Amino acid sequence: MNQFGKILKFELSGYLKNKVFVGVTVFLVIAITIAMFIPNISAMFKSDEEAVPDVLPGMLVYADDPELSSMVGQYFGEAFPDYAIMLADGSLEDVKAKVVSGDVQCAFVMDSLDSYTYYVNNLSMYDANMHTANSVLQEVYRVTAMVQGGMSPEQAEKILSAQIQCNAVTLGKDQMQNFFYTYIMIFALYMVILLYGQMVATNVAVEKSSRAMEVLITSANPTSMMFGKVIASCLAGLMQLIAVFGTALVFYNVNKSAWGDNIIIDSIFNIPVSLFAYMLLFFILGFLIYAFLYGAIGSTASKLEDINTSVLPITFLFIIAFIVVMASMGSGNIDNTIMKVCSFIPFTSPMAMFTRICMSTVPWYEILISVAILIGSTIGVGFIAAKIYRVGVLLYGTSPKLGNIIKSVWKS
Amino acid sequence: MRLELKNIDKSFGEKQVLKGISFAAEGGKAFGLLGRNGAGKTTTIRILMNVFPANGGEILLDGEKIDYAKVGFGYLPEERGMYPKKLIIDQLTYFAELKGMSHRSAVKSVDYWLDRLDMGEHRNKRLDTLSKGNQQKIQLITALAHDPDIVILDEPFSGLDPVNAMLLKDVVKEQIAKGKIVLFSSHQMSYIEEFCDSIAIINAGRVVLSGDLHDVKRNYPRNKLIVSSVCPEKIRADFGSSCAVSDNKDLIIRLSRPDDKQSIMKRLVENYDIDEIRVFEPSLNDIFIEYAEEQA
Repeated sequence: MNQFGKILKFELSGYLKNKVFVGVTVFLVIAITIAMFIPNISAMFKSDEEAVPDVLPGMLVYADDPELSSMVGQYFGEAFPDYAIMLADGSLEDVKAKVVSGDVQCAFVMDSLDSYTYYVNNLSMYDANMHTANSVLQEVYRVTAMVQGGMSPEQAEKILSAQIQCNAVTLGKDQMQNFFYTYIMIFALYMVILLYGQMVATNVAVEKSSRAMEVLITSANPTSMMFGKVIASCLAGLMQLIAVFGTALVFYNVNKSAWGDNIIIDSIFNIPVSLFAYMLLFFILGFLIYAFLYGAIGSTASKLEDINTSVLPITFLFIIAFIVVMASMGSGNIDNTIMKVCSFIPFTSPMAMFTRICMSTVPWYEILISVAILIGSTIGVGFIAAKIYRVGVLLYGTSPKLGNIIKSVWKS
Repeated sequence: MRLELKNIDKSFGEKQVLKGISFAAEGGKAFGLLGRNGAGKTTTIRILMNVFPANGGEILLDGEKIDYAKVGFGYLPEERGMYPKKLIIDQLTYFAELKGMSHRSAVKSVDYWLDRLDMGEHRNKRLDTLSKGNQQKIQLITALAHDPDIVILDEPFSGLDPVNAMLLKDVVKEQIAKGKIVLFSSHQMSYIEEFCDSIAIINAGRVVLSGDLHDVKRNYPRNKLIVSSVCPEKIRADFGSSCAVSDNKDLIIRLSRPDDKQSIMKRLVENYDIDEIRVFEPSLNDIFIEYAEEQA
């Protein structure tokens, strides 16, 4: 235990003195600080823009019938406040030429009140003009039809603008609201495990290839070594996350008024305490179980170059878990069979079970069983990893075959 | 203190690496563990240090089963290496702490050894900024800083210049004088002869020769005479096939019976112009080559 503490301290200080680690953390903290000030910054630029009124882009309305064209022009004037509406004279060719030359941005050529052609030079992905025009024209058409049928324009207006009163009461979980922090946690777990797992594997392989292992293995117990290294990397990862999300939280509160009622941001920072506790629990366990695997793999590599290929199977396992969870989140059907199975398998449960807890209602005993399995397997994987490490670090030369490692671990 | 290895067996998979290794080393003396590359020295050392267990046999300290919680080992591995990118003081302190020292006494001891080995000025440098010889001195500190009871040095002199080799010799003598068990493994026989009172030669996983170095040499058959003469051709012609020429032009006369020594010496002195006659004393190198090659 004493040795474990010393290893933990040494490894952790190794991370904290690592220039890349510190650099990345500082960069992330600065980036998130800037991000949290975005509403203030953009507000500053916005006020400048409003001081200098822009020339509105032009929109042409053209119809053979001058009455139709002036009527549509009038309606569009109200519907498109961001455009200068102009009635076109001349021929259809002139209208097209004006659109192509850029004199106007777009043109509506009306065949009748319920039929038109929209001319635009480049159709933007976000061009909603046709949509707006359709609803305006539809309403005009309906009012006209109703008035012709004997109603007064006021009556027709009232019928068409009738609003439905509705309320949603969430008895279980609001998937919409919980989606974002589930997403962030899953993504953070994904990034951190891939990053730190690789770091743990490299760390072990460096000791082996620099032969520092020869001294270490005769000085310290392999189980202490493995647990010390992995838990140190977990603490380093948590510190980094706390630095980044802590900064985000502080500056969110500083800029709270500027953020206003942004639902996404609000839901992230108002995560319920119980979910936060689950997040921490699954994060730590998920991190540890993968870090042990990465450490064990690192000990079997003879050269640093071998690491990238050796860790592939673990990385694949992890990516598959990630994809299953992400796909289920996107589908809206969180409690599907695959997710249920995955939420009990130790390597997938940190992501799958957390997602289910956040976005659906999971019975307490299922959570308990899942966590118990996960804790048990994390400890088990830790001890197996330590055994692999003990055997692996003294094998030089060609990378040992998986079967041989299992055999020697079994024997020792 | 007396360290005994008794009938140590070890196999890796199908391959039996050690076949009943036995030897004993005393405190206050240096013990030489010799053998060719791949003979099983490093495996023996690792078993002795409990890196992995033996398949059979036992290790005794003062007649009782060794208790690794109580005995301190210091080890300079043949494959040198520490953390190249970390500060020297940090890693030396870490290694000493892993061996059970408190942080404060570890720093104190490491500083003592850095000064003792003239490395004090490199205290706060990264290891990879040092020359190979100096890195080796730093590594030696990992073997000594925690004041171990048993010091195992694998090729300690390789790569050291004569001044550093001298410094290391003094350190080793100091450790021996303190009553520690010093286990040497080296291919440089001159150093073994200089330090070691006892040796064991391992060949293909077996101890082929062991015991007190003087006894080993004395027991070597004294059946050769070294003769230095101004007329070697004459002697060669008279002695025929029992006479050979050594590398430095001396003659080597093999005696068919060691008891003939006196009469042959007399015959040589009376009949030829002789500068010097002596009985051939084998060096450890000669013994090593003979025993390590024999069963290979």
